[in-house]
Order: sequence, then structure tokens, then C-alpha cells
Amino acid sequence: MNDVSTSTPVDPETTPEALIERFGRDIINDFDLDDPKFNENFNETLNFMVRKCPVVHSQVGRGYYLINTQDEVRAAAQDWKTFSAAQGYMPNRPEGIPFLMPEECDPPMHTRWRHKLNPHLSPKTVALMEDAIRADVNELIDRFIDKGECEFISEFGTLLPGWAFFKNVLGVPLEDLPALVNGVEEGTFAPDLEERSRHFKGVFEYLNKHLTWRATQPSRGDLIDTILAGVTYDDGTEAPWDHKVSVLVDLTFGGIATTTFVMGSALHHLATNRDQLKMLIEDPSLIENAVEEYARFFPPVVALGRTATRDVEVAGTPIKEGEFVMLTYACASRDPRHMEEPEKVDVRRQGIPHSTFGVGPHRCIGSNLARLELTATLEEWLKRMPDFRIKEGTEPTYVTGYLRSMRSLYLEW
Amino acid sequence: MKVHIDEVNCTGHGRCAKYAPNVFRLNDEDGYNADRGLTIEVPAGEEKNAMLGVKSCPERAITVVEE
Ligand code: HEM
Ligand code: SF4
Repeated sequence: MNDVSTSTPVDPETTPEALIERFGRDIINDFDLDDPKFNENFNETLNFMVRKCPVVHSQVGRGYYLINTQDEVRAAAQDWKTFSAAQGYMPNRPEGIPFLMPEECDPPMHTRWRHKLNPHLSPKTVALMEDAIRADVNELIDRFIDKGECEFISEFGTLLPGWAFFKNVLGVPLEDLPALVNGVEEGTFAPDLEERSRHFKGVFEYLNKHLTWRATQPSRGDLIDTILAGVTYDDGTEAPWDHKVSVLVDLTFGGIATTTFVMGSALHHLATNRDQLKMLIEDPSLIENAVEEYARFFPPVVALGRTATRDVEVAGTPIKEGEFVMLTYACASRDPRHMEEPEKVDVRRQGIPHSTFGVGPHRCIGSNLARLELTATLEEWLKRMPDFRIKEGTEPTYVTGYLRSMRSLYLEW
Repeated sequence: MKVHIDEVNCTGHGRCAKYAPNVFRLNDEDGYNADRGLTIEVPAGEEKNAMLGVKSCPERAITVVEE
């Protein structure tokens, strides 16, 4: 460690000139999550930031900070009084998007909702969905196995999480899935903020209608009924209708916008690392652990935001009250201070201290479901198409902002 | 060996029970550690698994209070 109290020798790798040369911009003083260069150099940028820059700043729009190291991310995520989610998780949030519960509120309001919702996605409840999800995995594979090839993202990757969530949790018609998936994707990645807002609103309208309809139906005792029953806040008021719709929107976003990237990345990694593939085929009991390692290294949630409620200092960087702060979960999961060779993907890595599912009270409520989808996918895929490869002459394509997603992955067998 | 599970910081990642099912139990209802807020004894022979659970808890919610 350098002694910061005296004049610190300048690190030639972190001068603005060196950064512009390497990353196309000064990522310490002017980071941009939406920069196409970040999408292109995703791994290199994360690996560099977690080693060299505990906190970086962005001047895009209203500006935001990124916290990159594991200890600092954990401390901030757990300290919800200082880093509040109540102003939302999106940097430069487009006008007119209602806040999503429970993600964009703080305890005790948050606690009321989580307490009611948790049982619907607990390990025990999710385990009951295993057979149905495994059957869905096989039904999707049946559609293309005889072709000898597929475009994984459109033919499997975006469908399975949607099916798993729609059929087992939400109970909405599968025909509506493509429009919702598109609304969620465009609402997250559309280059124009106005457009993001428009797509978001479409998703809200659809789910509002669905919830309104369910309110007229007999209770099924499912997650939707729990949302309809609502919660009582600490001031004695009942959660209003808008909050209920937003809970459904939040769950839908989480349920269909994330798992695809881990799935696609895992298969891409296995296809290009035959030794790891061989290990999993020879010993499928390793798959659960492999899922943990893939979640660590292929994080669909790059960073989510909070707002500082007071002046605070993080790793020596002063942050003022009211400023927007992103927790870079993707960086924290590859912090060399907490694991060996974090840049290496190893399905046998033990005790994986990652933050892909978030840290603190907002820990991903769907994490148990996501793990099940991933495990079932890898198990069935490797049983049925153990010799799959990347299609000659193709490479996967990606899109990145505060989330990361895979757009295409051509496989053959 | 004794470990303490922090009442507030445990947020139900469930990693502890995955690596050390004979040490850590999850609450059936919400999936959080069933012994939140308590100090528990690690059964003899389970120390290594317990340490894996401690290490993989993303919240650092489990601390060893007695070797
Ligand atoms: C690999 C797949 C997934 C990843 C990596 C992921 C990641 C995350 C992360 C990092 C957070 C923390 C948010 C924060 O700190 O502000 C989160 C929260 C959340 N996730 Fe997921 N998620 C995944 C799958 C799912 C699924 C399948 C669902 C729905 C069934 C879901 C629903 C949610 C919800 C509702 C929240 C908000 C929880 C709260 O604020 O209390 N996620 N997710
Ligand atoms: S791993 Fe940590 S946060 Fe998760 S259930 Fe166990 S103690 Fe709680």
C-alpha cells in the first residue's frame, strides 16, 4: 500500500492520458456505463477498476459515483440509512417512471413488503417448482435439438426465465411474454432516455391490467394474491394501488431481465473451455458450484444506485448529500482482496464470496429461483448436447449499461 | 467452535446452509438463517464446512466467536 499521507507516487496506469489510451476515456473522472467501449472491454474495465480505483466518478447527465471494491460495496449496501434506495436505482432516471417497490424504498417500508413476499420465493417454495422448470428446459430443447444448431438467446435464453416466472409465479398467458421481454429490454438499454421511459410505461400498463383483473378473481393464495392483499406501513396507512402494481413490475423486471446473461455466458464459457466442460460432464454434482462461479463472473446486474442522505467519505473520496452512488456489484465479485485469481473462471472454486445477487436488505428476492433455472439448464443441456460448440465464424454479442445482457449466441452440436 | 449469526446483516442468501447443511439451517418460511441473532455450536468434524459457509456469506453475517 502506498502511504497516502505523503506525496503518493503517480501510478502511470491511472493518469488521464493512460486511461484515454486504454479505455477511450478517463474512466476515473468520467466513467460512462452506457459507453460502447465499456460494453466491448467489459472484463478488462472491471478487473482494472477493482484493483486500481475503489471509487470513480461519472459526469454523464446529473453525474454519479461508482463504488467498486467489495468491502466498500458491502458497507454501503448494508448502510441503507446513508445510501438510500428511495430515490431509485437508475442513474439519470428518466422523468415519469414511478418508483418500484420493494427495490426503490428503504426499511421499514421495504421490510413490510419483503416479509410478505419472501415466502413465495424462498428455497423451500422454489424447490417445488423444480420439476416444472426442468420440463420446460426439455421442451425448449426439443424444439431445436434435431436442427443441430440454435441461436441460444432467442430460442432458449430469454424464454426459460420468462416461462419459469410466468408459469410458476405470475400465472399470465405465455403469448404476452415476447412483448413484455421487449419492453423490459428496451426500457433498460434503449439509447434514448425518453424511449426507455415509454417502454417502461408499457410494462406498467400491462401489469396494471393484469393485477386489476386478478382482483376480480377468486383468491389462489399465490404471489399475486399476496401483492393484492398488500401491507400496512408503519404510519398505519395501507399500501396504495400504485405500490402494488410497482411490486409486480419490479418482480417482472428481475424475473426476466437477468438470468439469460448468466445462462448464455456459462454455455459460451463451457464451449470455449473444454476442460471445464469435461469436468462437469464427468461429475454433474459440480454443476451447482459452477452456477455460483458463473453468477460471480458473469454478472447481469453491473451496478445499482443509491442516493447519499448525508455527506460521507468512501475510500477517501468525499461524497456529498444528494449525490447519486452506484454499487458496482460486478466489480465487487472479482475483488483480489477476497479471492485468488479473480479473473479466472473455475467451476471448482470453493466458498465464493460474490455479490452478484446484491448485498444488504435488497438482496435479490429471486436468487433461489435464478439458481434453480441455471442449474436445471446446465444439467439438462449437458445431458442432451454434451458435444455442443460455438458455431463456426460467430461470436456472442452483448449490450451493457447498469445491466449487462447477451444479444446473440450461435451454438451447434 | 462457536459461530454467531448477525440478526440484521443476514439477508437470506442461503450460502451458509449450502456449504454446511449440518451447521446452518434456513428458516422454512423466508429462507433466512434460522439462528439469526444467536451463537451456535459447530458440531465436531464440521469446522471446515462451517468455515466455507462463513467465507461465502456475501453479508459477512457469520463470525467465529470461539475457535
Ligand atoms: C441471475 C439472475 C439474477 C441476478 C444476477 C439478480 C440480481 C439482483 C440484484 C443485484 C439485486 C439487488 C438490487 C439492489 O441492491 O438494489 C436484485 C434485486 C431484486 N431481484 Fe434479482 N437478480 C436475478 C434474478 C431475479 C429473478 C429471477 C427475480 C424474480 C423472480 C428477481 C427479482 C428481484 C427483485 C424483486 C429485487 C428487489 C429486491 C428488493 O429490493 O428487496 N431477480 N436482483
Ligand atoms: S449466507 Fe449469510 S446472509 Fe445468507 S442465510 Fe447464511 S448467514 Fe444469512
